[in-house]
Amino acid sequence: MVKVAEEWLNICGGCEVSILDLGEKLLDLLPSLEFVHMPVLMDHKYFGQIGEKSELEIPEADVGMISGGIRNEKERHVTEEMRKKCKTLIALGSCACYGGIPALANMYNVDDLLEKVYRDSITTESADNPSEDIPPLTDKVYAVDEVVDVDLYIPGCPINPVIILEALTCLLEGKPFELPERSVCDDCPTLRKEKSDVGLKRPLQDAEFTPGEYDTLRCFNEQGILCLGPVTKSGCGKQYDAEEQVVPRCVKGFMPCRGCFGPIRKDAKPLVDMMTALSSVGLDAKLIDDRRALFNRYIGAQNRLRPLPTRVRR
Amino acid sequence: MQDEFEPKIIAFCCNWCSYAGADLAGVSRLQYPPNVRIIRVMCSSMVHPNLVIDALTNGADGVIICGCHIGDCHYIDGNVKTENRADAITLMLEDFGIEEERFRLEWISASEGPKFAQVMTEMVDTVKELGPSPYS
Repeated sequence: MVKVAEEWLNICGGCEVSILDLGEKLLDLLPSLEFVHMPVLMDHKYFGQIGEKSELEIPEADVGMISGGIRNEKERHVTEEMRKKCKTLIALGSCACYGGIPALANMYNVDDLLEKVYRDSITTESADNPSEDIPPLTDKVYAVDEVVDVDLYIPGCPINPVIILEALTCLLEGKPFELPERSVCDDCPTLRKEKSDVGLKRPLQDAEFTPGEYDTLRCFNEQGILCLGPVTKSGCGKQYDAEEQVVPRCVKGFMPCRGCFGPIRKDAKPLVDMMTALSSVGLDAKLIDDRRALFNRYIGAQNRLRPLPTRVRR
Repeated sequence: MQDEFEPKIIAFCCNWCSYAGADLAGVSRLQYPPNVRIIRVMCSSMVHPNLVIDALTNGADGVIICGCHIGDCHYIDGNVKTENRADAITLMLEDFGIEEERFRLEWISASEGPKFAQVMTEMVDTVKELGPSPYS
């Protein structure tokens, strides 16, 4: 019996839904798993069930899963406690691995954010920053591995249930688990000709294709629709019986890749690599609005996004 | 006593012109600030934007790429590619929030020792004025 603890931090909850999305496979897995802590499913309180304890406590577990990045001091505390109590720690989903969508906030200082949310926004009645009975915000959004060591990364927004199953099975059998260093383009079935002969299109303009036939679909970047495939790790399309070619999830829906699987290698700089990829396709990167946020959409933590220094001269 | 800020400048010099130019500046005993760390590359066009961004985000305060004058490239048109790349690098600096003055592209031939010394002095002065890199 393997004890599992799961914790959700700064997250929407989609990754937990993905775990349930395992469906019948989860039933096969359940006899060998025991969930000892999982706020999304179970009523298990941090300070004892009636608040009798003075220290935050999470039960010991063999496998710990954390979804979501770290945005406030409570989340940091919980993460540290999880690391202490779990033998293997899994970062579940893009938020835990790279900061995810919430890490777009790393482009601004905390003070600017609070000012905008509680006072500057026109549709909001202005108020003071809330301060009672809530944990203070951290200075920025952190990925889990910036706070504690992480043994296993499962990116995705949301994660692909097949990958969780694979990772858990590997853990149960004591085998190593790692996603391959391949880009989405390596697995993409679209047609690549040479240079783009059309300019950049607007994000909501449609690609040209015949429904159901991937081989009639030309590479999105070549069509002028920005696709983050060249700088994004592949694996999102994984299926239980992966014999035929695996089409990346977004491409399967005839949409360009949004980059949720994060950089291909840990030290890669997608912003730089994407500019290189765009110029080799023949698109002008100058015309793209807000490149910083666009190319770091899911990976703003780990110092990839930060406020611009005020002394930048224009 | 407060020490004056001493920037770290990385200079990528091409083997055929600029590195020889730096050599000439040395043997001619020309004075230029010791803040410059020279890295010899076969051609200025082999300096990938990644290298420049990596340098600037990991402790360097300025980066300068030196190559042969247009038309003099040992590999015929390497420096034309460098020039195109430099435009892209400037664009990336903006995205990374790094002042564009921290990066410079300069053509220095093998006989231009004095120019090498002068360019390096100017670069160090500019970066000293800007202060440490926002990433340091």
